[in-house]
Amino acid sequence: MSQLPPSPRKHLDSPRTRAVLRIQQQIVSAARDHLRALGFVELLPPVIGPATDPGGRGAKQVDVDYYGHRYKLMTSAIMYKQAALLTFDKIFCVAPNVRLEPPETCSTQRHLAEFHQFDVEIAGAGAQDAMGVAEDLVRAAVRTVTEQLPEDLDVLGRDPDAFTDLLARPFDRLSHATAVADLAVLGHEQNPDAEIDWEGEAMLSRKATRPFFVTGYPKGSRGFYDREDPEVPGTLRNFDLLAAEGFGELISGAEREFDHARIVTRMRETGENPGKYQHFLEVAREGIPASAGFGIGIERLTRYVCGLDAVWEATAFPKIPGVVSL
Amino acid sequence: MTGAGGLSAPGFPEAAVRERARSGTAAAFPPLSGYGHALLGATPGAPEAGAPYGAPGDLLETGRLVPPVFMPRRLEKLIELGREPQHSDVDLTTDIGGFHAPLPLYVSAFGSTRAAGDGLGTAVGRQAGRLGLPLVIGENVLPVSGYGRPGTASDGAGAASGLLRRIRAYADELPDGAGGVAVQQSTEDADAEVWNLLHSDPHVQPLLASGRLAFELKVGQGAKPGLGGMTLVDAAEADRLADRYRVRDTLGEKGDVLRCSAPGTVTEEILRQQIRFMRSNYPRVRVWVKLFPGRDVDRAAAVAWQAGADAVTVDGAEGGTGWAPHAFLDGVGLPLGECLRRIGPGAHPLLVSGRMWEGGRVARSLALGARAAGLGRAALLAADEDPDRGLIRLTACLELELRLLVSALGKYAVAELAPEDLWPQPAAERRPDPTTREPS
Repeated sequence: MSQLPPSPRKHLDSPRTRAVLRIQQQIVSAARDHLRALGFVELLPPVIGPATDPGGRGAKQVDVDYYGHRYKLMTSAIMYKQAALLTFDKIFCVAPNVRLEPPETCSTQRHLAEFHQFDVEIAGAGAQDAMGVAEDLVRAAVRTVTEQLPEDLDVLGRDPDAFTDLLARPFDRLSHATAVADLAVLGHEQNPDAEIDWEGEAMLSRKATRPFFVTGYPKGSRGFYDREDPEVPGTLRNFDLLAAEGFGELISGAEREFDHARIVTRMRETGENPGKYQHFLEVAREGIPASAGFGIGIERLTRYVCGLDAVWEATAFPKIPGVVSL
Repeated sequence: MTGAGGLSAPGFPEAAVRERARSGTAAAFPPLSGYGHALLGATPGAPEAGAPYGAPGDLLETGRLVPPVFMPRRLEKLIELGREPQHSDVDLTTDIGGFHAPLPLYVSAFGSTRAAGDGLGTAVGRQAGRLGLPLVIGENVLPVSGYGRPGTASDGAGAASGLLRRIRAYADELPDGAGGVAVQQSTEDADAEVWNLLHSDPHVQPLLASGRLAFELKVGQGAKPGLGGMTLVDAAEADRLADRYRVRDTLGEKGDVLRCSAPGTVTEEILRQQIRFMRSNYPRVRVWVKLFPGRDVDRAAAVAWQAGADAVTVDGAEGGTGWAPHAFLDGVGLPLGECLRRIGPGAHPLLVSGRMWEGGRVARSLALGARAAGLGRAALLAADEDPDRGLIRLTACLELELRLLVSALGKYAVAELAPEDLWPQPAAERRPDPTTREPS
């Protein structure tokens, strides 16, 4: 498989693309059914706003001239999710995100400049609750694909037995510190203060036969909204879900900072200018619910379920970082 | 002097008071007519005025470099060379915040003063590139001068001197394996995502791939410790910047407006986490931190190094190229010599700036623990004298002085300069907590 997509016509007209997009539709549909059955309300996601998730790993946001004001295309709906909990206790949306990732990510096979997320947020929940919802959601989505679309998996050469372990057993949970130690044993030097690098994630992921959670990332590796553990300062109450077979990260989630002063302080610790977030902070100053939530990369989950070499195969109109295309 | 009412006040700064009575807030600043042309900083007690501008006992001003008579290291060099060593044998190469440099020199940031616009900043960058000296680019070049992306007509008021064009002018001249660019960002520049913009720009990838890109977290600057950047803008530009900066305090009668950046709130934990966040976000980029000469500069430097900063830059109170109130230029912040005394010598990558232009002050700074010295006003003046060769000639002169001084001290590597080379000896002071860089 080439690192870059073929022409749009060839990609759109391919039986493989057809099979992948049918499976993706099944995943989205199953996730919606699963969450609605749990009492979640689906909101239509915002597309632009005065500020968006500053994220990490150096991706640039897209500026939009909004009547002379600098607005941003959403990189994630995180602040809107937290604010939306004033309306409903459990919400989700299927949200488009745009992140101008560094050009080096064009060869990781797992980055897109435009992608979609299931964004889920739960009022009053902790990180463990959110991980439980995420695990059940992934399992439900994979189960319906294996049950209802075996022919499409066959077109892609994906063996449904790859999910036997996923469907039968709970996902493991290991701490960030343990992951760093495991990587050291594997001969991979990982900065203990940082996000686990892509190579490290792939190494851990290749060892696994079903997805697993990495929990408790250090402060300094994530955005201001992941809550610092009051009992273990310096550690965040957050998690990633990494797929098996080397497919890497599928989900990022966390318990959220919801106290106004804490949010402002964490913004400064991540180098942000709180003035940029004044509209969100005005809402937070008057109080927003404590919550936890997560985002699932839909194209990445599709890639894993379909066993694709590259994540761009999981979208009809791929935007590879730095590559100009349809 | 008498005013309209006929009063006089002998012995009192009457003229200054009357100037304030006439001009109001504008009198807090140097004359507006010099804005964009006068390179401000260290106006009080400049040497030509006959008064020391450093603190009493400031070794950068009053100290002397004193060679010993007995020189065992010269003997070592003689044995190594098989002949008597000369000043030309001094090794001046230095690691500056992760960059290799042929000299213990780098070019400091100029801020957004108009003096650095109009191509002068680019001329400095081009010459610095030819010399292989690291170059720091100011935090608000992007918001004020634009980005200067090739192929676009203009993306800001001064796209010709925009951020990317300055970087490219420098990088195009850079010899293999030397130099590097450090780009500043401070609190409000986070809105413009200066670092993310560069990090994701294909034109910057060669610098990134060769390990010659650094991001400098700007905590403050020597000319106005505790304040953010300041520039004068006209009314139209003030409107353009109004939703990004505090733009107010009209100065004078021409309608010039003072644009103030927020200084940014820093605590130990905020500084530590910002550095970690930078290291996590940009693992291939060097992390520099620029401190103003605050009273806890030693502690701040220790926190920065411990969090993994590749370099800490201290801008002494003598530093500055931009706009600053008299009260700050004259009386706020520690002189650089005192900063060096508080931080103390060590293996840490400490970069210093403030009134650097000749070899003696640079050598004294290195003897007090600095790794390298930054040229600010001197670089701008040199390029103003000759946009093509001025900085190159100034640097050649400084290089010769350094070679002569270091060899006279019986040493043949610039890194060997130490407090023992100074008289009087720096007083032993409290030291910051022992620090080691955290594992990466």
